Amino acid sequence: MWSYIVRRLFQLIPTFFGATLLAFIIIQLAPGDFVTRLELDPTQTRESIASLRQEFALDQPWTVQYAKWVSGVLQGKLGLSLSYKADVWKVIWPRILNSMVLVVLSTLLIYLIAIPVGVYSAIRQYSVGDRILTVMAFIGVAIPNFFFALIMLFVAVWLNDTTGMKILPIGGMTSEFVGGVPYLEAPWWQRTLNVLWHAVPVVLVLATTGTAGLIRVMRGQMLEVLNQDYIRTARAKGVAEGVAIYKHALRNAVIPIVAGIGFLLPALIAGAGLIEVVMAWPGITPMLLDAISATDLYLVMGFITVTTILLMLGNLLSDLLLAWVDPRIRYN
Amino acid sequence: MTRKIELREGMGKSESFFQMAWRRFRRHPLARLGGWVLLVLYLGALFADFLAPYPEGQSFRQFSYAPPTQVFWRDADGRLTRPYVCASERKRNLETFQVEVVTDCSQGRYPIYFFVHGEPYKFLGFIPANLRLMGGDWLVNEQAHLFIWGTDDFGRDLWGRIWYGARVSLTVGIFATALALIIGVFFGGIAGLYAGRPVTLSVGFASPEFRRYLRWGHPLLAWLKALGWTLVWLGLAWLLWITLQGFLQSSRGLEAILAGVIGVALLGAIGYFLIWQTVKLDLDTLIMRTTEVLAAIPDLFLLITLSVLIPQDIPPATRFILVVSILSFVNWGGLARTVRSQVLQLREMEYAQAAQALGASEARTLTRHILPGTFTYLIVIITLSIPSFILAESGLSFLGLGIQEPASSWGLLLSKAQQTGIIAFTERPWLLIPGLFILIAVLAYNLLGDGLRDALDPRSRR
Repeated sequence: MWSYIVRRLFQLIPTFFGATLLAFIIIQLAPGDFVTRLELDPTQTRESIASLRQEFALDQPWTVQYAKWVSGVLQGKLGLSLSYKADVWKVIWPRILNSMVLVVLSTLLIYLIAIPVGVYSAIRQYSVGDRILTVMAFIGVAIPNFFFALIMLFVAVWLNDTTGMKILPIGGMTSEFVGGVPYLEAPWWQRTLNVLWHAVPVVLVLATTGTAGLIRVMRGQMLEVLNQDYIRTARAKGVAEGVAIYKHALRNAVIPIVAGIGFLLPALIAGAGLIEVVMAWPGITPMLLDAISATDLYLVMGFITVTTILLMLGNLLSDLLLAWVDPRIRYN
Repeated sequence: MTRKIELREGMGKSESFFQMAWRRFRRHPLARLGGWVLLVLYLGALFADFLAPYPEGQSFRQFSYAPPTQVFWRDADGRLTRPYVCASERKRNLETFQVEVVTDCSQGRYPIYFFVHGEPYKFLGFIPANLRLMGGDWLVNEQAHLFIWGTDDFGRDLWGRIWYGARVSLTVGIFATALALIIGVFFGGIAGLYAGRPVTLSVGFASPEFRRYLRWGHPLLAWLKALGWTLVWLGLAWLLWITLQGFLQSSRGLEAILAGVIGVALLGAIGYFLIWQTVKLDLDTLIMRTTEVLAAIPDLFLLITLSVLIPQDIPPATRFILVVSILSFVNWGGLARTVRSQVLQLREMEYAQAAQALGASEARTLTRHILPGTFTYLIVIITLSIPSFILAESGLSFLGLGIQEPASSWGLLLSKAQQTGIIAFTERPWLLIPGLFILIAVLAYNLLGDGLRDALDPRSRR
């Protein structure tokens, strides 16, 4: 198994270079020049521009610039963000953490809802409840998440107006004041609670598509397993229906769902993007959009690098989990 | 003596595969519903000029963000009558100090007529017409206005713009899928056909294999090919040399030493390939690695980054084509993978091998024997990938990176809802209607695709 993991990790290396090279070329092709912008910036002295040129090989062809960037990445440096005048890693790290809050919470919510609902739908196949849930799942898959985010904001504003209280937050990740003191001076648990409260509508929206899709998969899996011979055997030998369903069927039906977590994580990272923009959540995508319109080359590359690594590791994790839970799959 | 034998019902009638599929499809009520909804939407897009009371670009600046026009059904005495609207104007409410649209029926009532002559337009772009669904002389003379779903920021009729936008939103999915399909089927087919059979890329000049290579085909063609690969290798070496030179100029210490070692090693490798080594390349590996690279960048980020390449100030039609191109560039990989796995399966089928044994060329085997086998599968993939393209386009336009003014698309129209801040848009709920249209179109496609998948599944014999 370890040799399999090592081999897979080695396979990721060319993919990683290919992806970053592609992104690098695209950004370089875009109109708007990184170097001219630097020279027009009055806060930059001639010496600092010269040293930047030297460090990032800005007056060299783009292949050299890419090589310099790769060399920097190998040394653990993602470069310098021009808009923020700071190290890219320091700029993007809090944003990635913010997005991860959404991703982790949504993943939990998706599994907590989808598995029981899918099981219910399968056991009561073609009942009224199953039909209603099926229709809702179809709508959940089809609804554009930015549209749903707008509706959620609409509901939040309406709810707060009619009740006169702040029941749901309206955009953002933190309040300015928590418990009467400025946010940054509040105790950590109050800050956490505040962020969680802000995350409620965002996570609800983000989890919708995933939940709806997973309900369908879970229902299909459960139905397939329930038609297997060993379930009939279990029933025939007089096992209680609950035991037959939850001990014999569910355990097998849930395997591919759990293994699919690796595919879910990257989908959520990108899926959170438009919702972050609509709900003003300070995550990856809003900053990426700013960085792209400002042609902040190294900041864009930083985001793409980190998300690409996350995505590749997610896929690897998923493959490993699948091979681990399913004895039919061999490592080769 | 002959006797006529009555055929029992259902016997003797042999159905083709598609007849059976059609029969199964018709039993799917939700899929049929999806099909009908799509038909209505596409007809609406086709007859957008007829449905809309105003031309696409006509704006009424004084009516920006006007709420839906009130349509009255009863006259002053309370009797049912032909629906009519009243003149309205924009005023500042002196109590709340907010600008409101005030409807005043004392200035006259303007009945809505159907199938009237309105502003002229060109149906399908070249047939002059002026028939419009709703209106009257008052609408053309601007005595009163008819905004049944309100207006956007420029005071343009939202109902009309939804149908004009449908032209973009509904066709973007089809065009993007078609383009992605062409690329995906081409590369997926090649990858599947050549899997496990590496193609010779170049042969070293000094190696014994080169002499064998020369004897094998036409000498002129062989030398031309040799010239081609020599140029490719030399070009690569040149690129590497420039990069190495520039890199060494801007770095020192261990970095420079390591780079120098790697660069020289790569240059040496190219020389070795050119002189001595035969280089073989598995096209399958190459294509699959490319799709992996595309899949490694999160779709949304790749789309956003690519959209920067679209220049500003280009005509809407060009922008539409470019948006379609980047959408399909991001998504062809998945299609190529599907086609490849299908081709790999079908390649081993007896009929494909029989065709090859009979002397059919590879291109013929691929196009006439293998690809038709993937058709039913592709039909389902197509119906399910169109809605994902519709969603992607609307997302991109929502961010202001896809379709732009003055053209219209559902994502772009929806972005108006948030343009003036989160709080303000609760006062203008009609701006959310375009989102509903995206939802309905995507839902209809998904239902249709589900029904088609069940109907075209050869294992389900019902």
